[in-house]
Amino acid sequence: MVKRAGVGFYIFLIIFVFLVMFPFIWVFLTSIKPQGEIFSSFQWFSSNMTLDNYASALETRPLLMYMLNSFVVATLTTIISIIVASFTAYAVTRLPIRFKGLILGLVLAASMFPQIAVLSPIFNFVTDAGLRNSYLGLVIPYITISLPLAIWILSTFFIKIPLALEESAKLDGATPFQTFRKIIFPLAAPGVFTTAILVFIAAWNEYLFALTINTDDRWRTIPVGISFYQSQYTVPWGDITAATVIVTIPIVILVLLFQRRIVAGLTSGSVKE
Amino acid sequence: MKQPKKRRFQLSERQLGYAMVAPSIILIAVIIIWPIMLSAWNSLFDYRLNDPAKAERISSLSINLETYADNRYLVYDTMDEVRDAMPDAGGTLDDITTALDEQHETLLNTDEGLAGRYEEVNTMLENFQPVNDEELRLADVPEEWADGFANTLDEQTAAVQALRDGAPEEAVQPLTDLESQLSNTQGSILEPNFVGLKNYTTYLGDGRTWTAMLNTLLFTVVTVGVELAVGLAVALLINRVFIGRGLVRAAVLVPWAIPTAVAAMMWTFLFDGQSGIMAHYMAQFGLIDDPGALLSTGAGGMFSIMFADIWKTTPYMALLLLAGLQTIPRSLYEAAEVDGANKFQQFISITLPMIRSAILVAVLFRALDAFRVFDLIYVLTGGGPANSTESISVYAYKLLFEQQNFGAGSALSVIVFLSVALLSTIFIKLIGSDLFSGRLKQ
Repeated sequence: MVKRAGVGFYIFLIIFVFLVMFPFIWVFLTSIKPQGEIFSSFQWFSSNMTLDNYASALETRPLLMYMLNSFVVATLTTIISIIVASFTAYAVTRLPIRFKGLILGLVLAASMFPQIAVLSPIFNFVTDAGLRNSYLGLVIPYITISLPLAIWILSTFFIKIPLALEESAKLDGATPFQTFRKIIFPLAAPGVFTTAILVFIAAWNEYLFALTINTDDRWRTIPVGISFYQSQYTVPWGDITAATVIVTIPIVILVLLFQRRIVAGLTSGSVKE
Repeated sequence: MKQPKKRRFQLSERQLGYAMVAPSIILIAVIIIWPIMLSAWNSLFDYRLNDPAKAERISSLSINLETYADNRYLVYDTMDEVRDAMPDAGGTLDDITTALDEQHETLLNTDEGLAGRYEEVNTMLENFQPVNDEELRLADVPEEWADGFANTLDEQTAAVQALRDGAPEEAVQPLTDLESQLSNTQGSILEPNFVGLKNYTTYLGDGRTWTAMLNTLLFTVVTVGVELAVGLAVALLINRVFIGRGLVRAAVLVPWAIPTAVAAMMWTFLFDGQSGIMAHYMAQFGLIDDPGALLSTGAGGMFSIMFADIWKTTPYMALLLLAGLQTIPRSLYEAAEVDGANKFQQFISITLPMIRSAILVAVLFRALDAFRVFDLIYVLTGGGPANSTESISVYAYKLLFEQQNFGAGSALSVIVFLSVALLSTIFIKLIGSDLFSGRLKQ
């Protein structure tokens, strides 16, 4: 159903995008207002813009450290789960094994369970292993979220590759693992990359495990760190809005660069092609 | 000649398949299935981290060898101090030593391996190592011994108190220490805290649990419903060729991509009673009585949470549905046009059936996400005011980590798990094999 877009359509579109973006716009405009104006006025633009809030946001809490922590944890999680998941997705979609439906059903069930149901045993385990306040202490629980997600998305990409390629590799004498490593994996690279982005975002955004396991400020991740800007007595909106802008920028860049891939990954499971 | 060779190739392919699946299955079993089973097991105990006597699961009367050995060492050490400070207490102290040693001997003889385990724990303590191994630390003890031991400790505590009455000043402090060490020793005997389904009956009979459950259901139904309706409308409207598609797509993806906690912080600011622009304008237009009402009343809090969630997720829903719409062949609409069907008829009899499975899949994943909502509520309202916006996950988290009540918290998390399992079973029945169609060859 391809329709031509009219003027009314563009007006609707602009309103829609404005509504979606409004919180960001307002938070950004607030972040460059001086302290006094934040509490007193609902003016859009300030007459004397300032970057004080940004300096203060970086000073009061180790925001850049939080970002580094999130980056390291999300990267490690992504690498581990993509490697393990690509094996499984390959075997389930292309190798003659039994119980494929059962395995995928297990993966689907694993991607649906509520994190709160495993939180306390994992907390006990991480504490006993001495992994509280470390990167590994978060990577292990994050695998519970990212591994099923990665298998689920990767399998849609693997199944699209024509089976004839394997047949010819077989005829040329490649072993099954060589076929995977040299033929199928490189061909699925765009899908693998897409999956990696989605897994990375999921790990970057995780809150519950990070809140519970890494309680030391040095090891906090971005989502938890930012929620600690509000103290019991004061709410420093200047700092919070500035911090929000800082942490949103990397996400905006990621989305602008990879939007096509992200959409492909998100819709890969829900649409028959 | 060819036939056997081919079969061997097939076989090794299959073996490779199992080898490649194994790591994921093992990981899922170890870090998802096993912890869920542990949660279920924990929920059967009165298990509290902040109460030393209940800080682990005790199925039968036990002794904590770590605290026992530790206190035994301290008691003997303090008795030496008392001897130095008060030489004429020697007789009483010898009696205490004899009584304690006798109980100690009996204890070590109650079970065959116990003496060895006690030695091991003792060595670890001497090297300042914590004893984390539950198997090593906890030993079952017979009830007669525990009763006798408790009596002995009471008698010796009384003897120490009697000594202190006539003690010289420098002996008072060590005697007080000794008394508290003896009573700490009593703390190494752990009563069983297995309570069966009591956590469930208590918390299922508790109003707060039901409020949390209803809040969660209300949140799930309202947000997913609105997100589906608005998302479908937006998807239908933007399902056409226009300039700036990429830009719109990016704008729509940003709310989805930012951490929920960050979104929740932003909305806390926008809904704030003093500086929040949303609260300000909603009050000006008479939608709420005063700007503070959004975050200080239960209804306002619920509205705020739902609004923030709808803002964050509707664009994502629209994208999923748009992808579904784009797979519908144009020829279907052309044929309907020829047959004289109007737009609404086309929507009902072509669009909806064609994107049925896309809708169901999107609703399934959204509903499960909404049902386990945690970060949004925890950051935006903290479950308040007066627990009126608490979801079941938030309540479970508070029981687990704020009250350190692992038994009750586990019971609630098992309830969340069972609800999610029920919800997904219903959906998967509805969706059927479509869910696997993109992944398995039929």
